[in-house]
Amino acid sequence: MRLFRAMLLDAYRELNSKKLFWVILMMSGMVVLVYGSIGFDETGMSMFFGLWHSENELLTKGSFMSSLLYRSIFSTFMVGIWLAWIATILALVSTTTIFPDFVSGGAIDLVLSKPIRRVTVFFMKFATSLLFVLLQVTLFCVGVFLCMGIRLDDWEWKIFAAIPVVTLFFSYLFSVNVLFGVWTRSALAALLITMLLWVSLWSTNQSEAILAVFRTQFTLEVERADESIAQLEESYAALEVDKTEQNAPARQRLKSELESSRNERDTTLELIGKIDNWYKPIRTVRTVMPKTAETIALLDRWLRRDTDVNLFDLFQGKVASDDSGDFRVTNTSDDREVQRRIQQEYDAKSEVYLIGSSLVFEALVLSLACWIFVRRDY
Amino acid sequence: MDGSNGQYAIDLHDVQKIYRGKVHALRGIEMKVHHGEIFGLLGPNGAGKTTLVKIMMTVVRPTKARGTVLGRPIGHKPTLARVGYLPEHHRFPQYLTGRQALEFYAALAKVDRSTRRKRSLSLLDLVGMKEWANKRIATYSKGMMQRVGLAQALMNEPDLIVLDEPTDGVDPVGRREIRDVLLQLKERKKTIFLNSHLLSELEMVCDRVAILVQGKVVTQGTIENLTAESQRYEIMIEGSAPQWTGEFDDLRAESGSDGQTLLVRRGSDPAQVQALIDRLRSDGRTILSVKPVRESLEDLFMRAVTDPKTGKTLAPGAASNANSSKGAGA
Repeated sequence: MRLFRAMLLDAYRELNSKKLFWVILMMSGMVVLVYGSIGFDETGMSMFFGLWHSENELLTKGSFMSSLLYRSIFSTFMVGIWLAWIATILALVSTTTIFPDFVSGGAIDLVLSKPIRRVTVFFMKFATSLLFVLLQVTLFCVGVFLCMGIRLDDWEWKIFAAIPVVTLFFSYLFSVNVLFGVWTRSALAALLITMLLWVSLWSTNQSEAILAVFRTQFTLEVERADESIAQLEESYAALEVDKTEQNAPARQRLKSELESSRNERDTTLELIGKIDNWYKPIRTVRTVMPKTAETIALLDRWLRRDTDVNLFDLFQGKVASDDSGDFRVTNTSDDREVQRRIQQEYDAKSEVYLIGSSLVFEALVLSLACWIFVRRDY
Repeated sequence: MDGSNGQYAIDLHDVQKIYRGKVHALRGIEMKVHHGEIFGLLGPNGAGKTTLVKIMMTVVRPTKARGTVLGRPIGHKPTLARVGYLPEHHRFPQYLTGRQALEFYAALAKVDRSTRRKRSLSLLDLVGMKEWANKRIATYSKGMMQRVGLAQALMNEPDLIVLDEPTDGVDPVGRREIRDVLLQLKERKKTIFLNSHLLSELEMVCDRVAILVQGKVVTQGTIENLTAESQRYEIMIEGSAPQWTGEFDDLRAESGSDGQTLLVRRGSDPAQVQALIDRLRSDGRTILSVKPVRESLEDLFMRAVTDPKTGKTLAPGAASNANSSKGAGA
């Protein structure tokens, strides 16, 4: 414990000495400040503590819509863009020098000559290096928690789930950064490779998501076609029983409709097959890769309320109140069904699977990095 | 632990290191360092001195090694709690102050907090850096870094102190101060293993030395013993060499162009030259000077790094072909 405390203190001092740490902290503070500057009164919504005001009867103080908007800004922008992208990139840039500096000649000798096992040194250094993100996200969450509490009188403690979630998400990427930092001893190489991996993960995730939408749409079409074919077959069978000269044209029409529906279904099934040629391998690859996007999306899963909507849907005017008075996204029924099924599929992936499989990847990468660190002569 | 486990502080046998690329850096080192002595390791560049030190400090993994450090096998991590180490070209984190650096590395050496705090200031005072204790290392000069490095090596009150080029970049005043610190430590029965290429400094403080050439110890012992063979008396007289010089064992005469002759008598016993002086006096020769002469460490070093067959200095660096020296240290 003494060793860990010493290394934690050292990590803090290292951060404290980095201007970038304070710059990012200030930027983070600015983001929270802008968020906190959004207010609602009896006539509408204001920003920058009243410098900009817009009259809107829906976005008034205490209204459901204003609460919806405020929460949506948090989930869509603050988490989805700031924490998941901008702050993470800045954190990677800030921390990428930690391991290359640590293993550089003259510095590592002082540490390895102490009575601590190399494995212990390695993992302690890794754990304490996460302090950067831990501190940044903690302060961010405190700010958001206060904003939400003060503005909406909604003291949402679940916001603090962002601390472990974002740290975990960062640790997946940082493990890769550490591996290449230890291996190449170059901060730049480590950063570039980590970014490349991240972009690859994002691309495969997007590819899977897009293919999943098409696949689900086509599956839905097949289901609809099956239903239609069943009805046509039933009608056709009924006409076949009372086979007369008079119903011959109707039978002929049904027969051709049936044939056309079957052809259409077969074509769609063929398309699904083609999609599966890509979709299944991508899914398999993603099974063993860290789930960066899904890990961040866990926050949304935990914080989401049934009445919440996406900010982009809100801005695109796709949100309207339904019969019960709740606000819903106004898509077509098929779109809704596709969205529902995809959401259902995502929700079916347990936290244990999402985090566990990512941690297995992280453990493998770190084991390799640790092996290189332990075996090397300095 | 009383700090004197085993007969020797360092007892190395057949230490070998072959780096990737088949560079045979160490070819079977045999070395013994007694408790409480200052031991100097000499050698030309690339002889393997730093590799040997790093193997003892577990920074480099040996290809083969037997022996002990403070009575424990080489590589025994807990023993390092009793060893202080100043690496060559060490680099402290620039964001720490001198005091913070000392306390951080002491924590890694498992020194408790209150001891760290007390000892850091007293050691910075010892190396003349107390005024700079709370200033960032980024502002230190090379010499200051070495002083703080030395203090760092003493933070765990070690029984064995391993210093790799401790006076590198230090000015003459600083060198003298460091030398004084080493002598103080010796008085406190600490064992000091010193790796340096500054022969004159080693000569001043070391009890024993070893010379490493191309990954092998070519000689080791006390400086006196190592240079005993070369001890002689040089007697300068006026005129040519006497006819009777052949009557004395180990006496040779070298005639100079200025009408003077140098008589050289091998050995360290003063009684041996008395008869020679008496004979010269009885011959009425003018004796200009009588000097006891001993080989310096530099002479010894040069002799060790010179190929006796060719008379040329051995090429620097370790052997590049592992096979060429296979079994050399066995």
